[in-house]
Amino acid sequence: MTPEKPDTNWPDGPNAGMSRRNFLRGSAVFASGLAALAASLSPLRELDDRPSVEQFAQKYYKELTPEEMKKVLKRIEDEVEKQYGLRPHVKDLKPEAGVEFVYALNLTRCVGCRKCVHACVGENNQSRTPEIQYIRVLRLPDGSLDLEKADHYYHPEAVPEKGYFYMPVQCQQCKNPPCVKVCPVHATWQEADGITVIDYDWCIGCRYCEAACPYWARRFNFAKPSIPKEGLNLNMAYLGNRPRRRGVMEKCHFCIQRTRAGRYPACVEVCPVGARKFGNVLDANSEVAYILRTKRVFIQLKEELGTSPRFFYYFDV
Amino acid sequence: MIGGIRNYLVFLGRCGRIAFVGDWRYYSWMGFLSVFCLLGLNAYARQFAHGLVVTGMSDEVSWGVYIANFTFLVGVAAAAVMMVIPVYVYNNEDLHDLVIFGELLAVAAILMCLAFVTVDLGRPDRFWHLIPGLGQFNFPASMLSWDVLVLNGYLLLNLHICGYLLYSRYHGRKPAKWFYIPFVFVAIVWAVSIHTVTAFLYVGLGGRPFWNSAIVGPRFLASAFTAGPALIILALQIIRRVTNYRITDRALLTLRSIVQVSMLINVFLLANEVFKEFYSGNLHVASSKYLYVGLHGRHALVPWIWTAIQFNLLAMVLLVLPVSRSLRWLNLTCVLCIIGIWIEKGMGLVIPGFIPTPLGDILEYRPSLNETLVCFGIWAFGLLCYTVFLRMAVPILQGRLCKANEGEAGWRAPVASGEAPFNS
Amino acid sequence: MNPENNNNRVPAVLFILTVAFLLLAVCFSRRKWMESEPLKAIALVDPELVRPTTMRTSYAQLIRMQADLSDFDCYGCHEQKKAVTLRFDGSNNLVIPKEHSDIVMKHGQHGRNNNCFNCHDDQNLLLLQTRDGRQLKLENCPPLCGSCHGPTYRDWEAGAHGRTGGYWDKAAGELTRQICVDCHNPHSPKIPTRTPLPPPHPLHAAARAAGAEEH
Repeated sequence: MTPEKPDTNWPDGPNAGMSRRNFLRGSAVFASGLAALAASLSPLRELDDRPSVEQFAQKYYKELTPEEMKKVLKRIEDEVEKQYGLRPHVKDLKPEAGVEFVYALNLTRCVGCRKCVHACVGENNQSRTPEIQYIRVLRLPDGSLDLEKADHYYHPEAVPEKGYFYMPVQCQQCKNPPCVKVCPVHATWQEADGITVIDYDWCIGCRYCEAACPYWARRFNFAKPSIPKEGLNLNMAYLGNRPRRRGVMEKCHFCIQRTRAGRYPACVEVCPVGARKFGNVLDANSEVAYILRTKRVFIQLKEELGTSPRFFYYFDV
Repeated sequence: MIGGIRNYLVFLGRCGRIAFVGDWRYYSWMGFLSVFCLLGLNAYARQFAHGLVVTGMSDEVSWGVYIANFTFLVGVAAAAVMMVIPVYVYNNEDLHDLVIFGELLAVAAILMCLAFVTVDLGRPDRFWHLIPGLGQFNFPASMLSWDVLVLNGYLLLNLHICGYLLYSRYHGRKPAKWFYIPFVFVAIVWAVSIHTVTAFLYVGLGGRPFWNSAIVGPRFLASAFTAGPALIILALQIIRRVTNYRITDRALLTLRSIVQVSMLINVFLLANEVFKEFYSGNLHVASSKYLYVGLHGRHALVPWIWTAIQFNLLAMVLLVLPVSRSLRWLNLTCVLCIIGIWIEKGMGLVIPGFIPTPLGDILEYRPSLNETLVCFGIWAFGLLCYTVFLRMAVPILQGRLCKANEGEAGWRAPVASGEAPFNS
Repeated sequence: MNPENNNNRVPAVLFILTVAFLLLAVCFSRRKWMESEPLKAIALVDPELVRPTTMRTSYAQLIRMQADLSDFDCYGCHEQKKAVTLRFDGSNNLVIPKEHSDIVMKHGQHGRNNNCFNCHDDQNLLLLQTRDGRQLKLENCPPLCGSCHGPTYRDWEAGAHGRTGGYWDKAAGELTRQICVDCHNPHSPKIPTRTPLPPPHPLHAAARAAGAEEH
């Protein structure tokens, strides 16, 4: 049997001890390594939104009992008060029976003023820096719905401009939502009245829904949202406009704190030209039911994807 | 029972000890990797404190290098098990022991994948929401839930196979076939499934026409089986050089033939994709245009993808020619494959899916320094893990670290049965 | 490899590693190490610009607000029972008297609607009149507007034209509607252009497409 060549990696073999000097040297490396490891975590000093134990262990929205929900709402009110110095009223509104919301948008009327964008921001406590806006108004040249020709950043002196029309896009509250299908933790789902909601305390921030949405409707909180105190809307809903945390998704929820109380969403109310129409399509007397009955051509964006959006764009004259 | 546990703990203890013993090259390599691990950990701590705003991602491009690396590494993990097929299906004995090196690479790659996904999460503290039973697991609708299951299952599978084989060798026992052969065959199928599930993550999104194509799945597998064995070819040569473990050239050439066939298929599928995108002239080609030629004046990825294509084509030509039978050329070819496929599958797949956005907006992506350091840190961590695994596995396989020399002084260990001593 | 060389190099490597780790520990502990720049604050939009007020304040609104209605007191200047004569210039354009110089007549192209009494009642200036002889109070213009703009009037009645606000759910509260002149100036009804609110500010905006401006 030929002798084995010494293993240069292991000259002393499996059970040899180290010389004392090498042991000390090794310990020095180990100790300095541990020091570096501890120091590497020093940015955590600046962590300012550690979740409390209740928040960490909070149950899924659909599993909360009414008493637990009350506690959660109160906790949210306390947190907002602590952060902004103002106490909000946070409600958990349930969908009404016999209601299905539908949105109709008259593209003849929209002038591209972006009031809807900013009314939404104010109503729904969206972050100003970094900027989160649920609604994106596209300026398209007359004659085509090719979204590649869209300009998102138009800022002329006066709108509307000749030769263009304007199309605001927000969450289409699809009947067959791809975002709901892909969420790994069921943090987003569709409610009975048609609104696709997000449980902000359940979302893990994987952003799969953002990749799945064909309308680019979902927004992620890359940083801690900053809302000016004087702009805070204190009328809040759990699934709606209560302030979100860093690391979770958000999107248009049809102003759930308003619509489930019977009011119009902020974008509908502020539109100066009445281009936006909203209501309960199951009510034959609502304006949306009238529009769907009488207007002849509707555009459902990317209809071929099978998402069945609840947003109907149409031209009038 | 107690004796069994005690034996196992002693085994683990010795394995752990040996990870700290080595020559100056070992210490330099591990030190170098540790430095990058620390830099990565520091960068991640910064990201944890400030949020994902420290990366280059935005609502327009909401997945970046983290998911790009994840995708590439799932392929490596899947392919690392490819060596199992020649050995167990075709009874190729040259590769027999090398299967363990492949599976250890798979374990390291899966650990890197899990790390990349974790650092990409906006709220990693809520990971428990993913645990079936405890949280809300959207299985089977969400492909991400499938991914969680198959990746973790694959990790356990490989840990079991390697662990059992190494522990048996440590004891000088022949491993019981029923305790590992079925798992090996399951691993073959499971390897294909992990990568197919990862592909389906992308394919299932109807709103992203760049990804919503049937060819993504086959391309994933073809590119994985090119890059994975290429990595193993390089790793085996390094093992051969720094230890005196015997690895035949024939083994390397068997792996070369896997890389050869896979690269040919990969290039063929690329040609299919390019034809489909550009020949008919329909409107959904914006993302492909952005990738290959630029769109509306934005062309950040164009030099990258053309580099990847050139590397892949050159590698394919070299693989087909007999010149790549020589190790020096083979190594060059492997490097070309790995880089080419990393670009093509990572940046060349994930980023163009987001550009233009579904509403036609174009916002390019560039990873930030912090993001890049986290990536380096995770790669360093993965290489660290793999090095440690090999540091334990090679002496065990050589019979130098075994039960028989527990507590014995001196290094000349009795050779384990069936294992002839080799000179390097 | 010669074990001698190995033994000589190990201490050196370990020493270098110790130094490297200590250096890293020091760098990491400093606050300035890789400090990220805070995001540039984006200008806030004046909340006045997003109030849901109508574009005009009509006579009907003034009545509801119980505001000063003296602007609409026609017989404060005009004589009762005295007919008002309209004056036209050489090209048949209406000449606006200087007392009503704030009115710009642009209701209809090519001066088609160039006669005050197409809408106003020539016998009673406080009333409006339709072509089929109905007389309407000044604050009730929709039937007048609708007598020419039929389809729009029908849409308006159903709630599809013009603004709706307040409550969609009649059981919860009141629906607020506007009348035509709350938005349209009756003499120059085309909605005027306005300055749009600021465009969006994407994160990492340096990467934004310059090419998008071209569209």
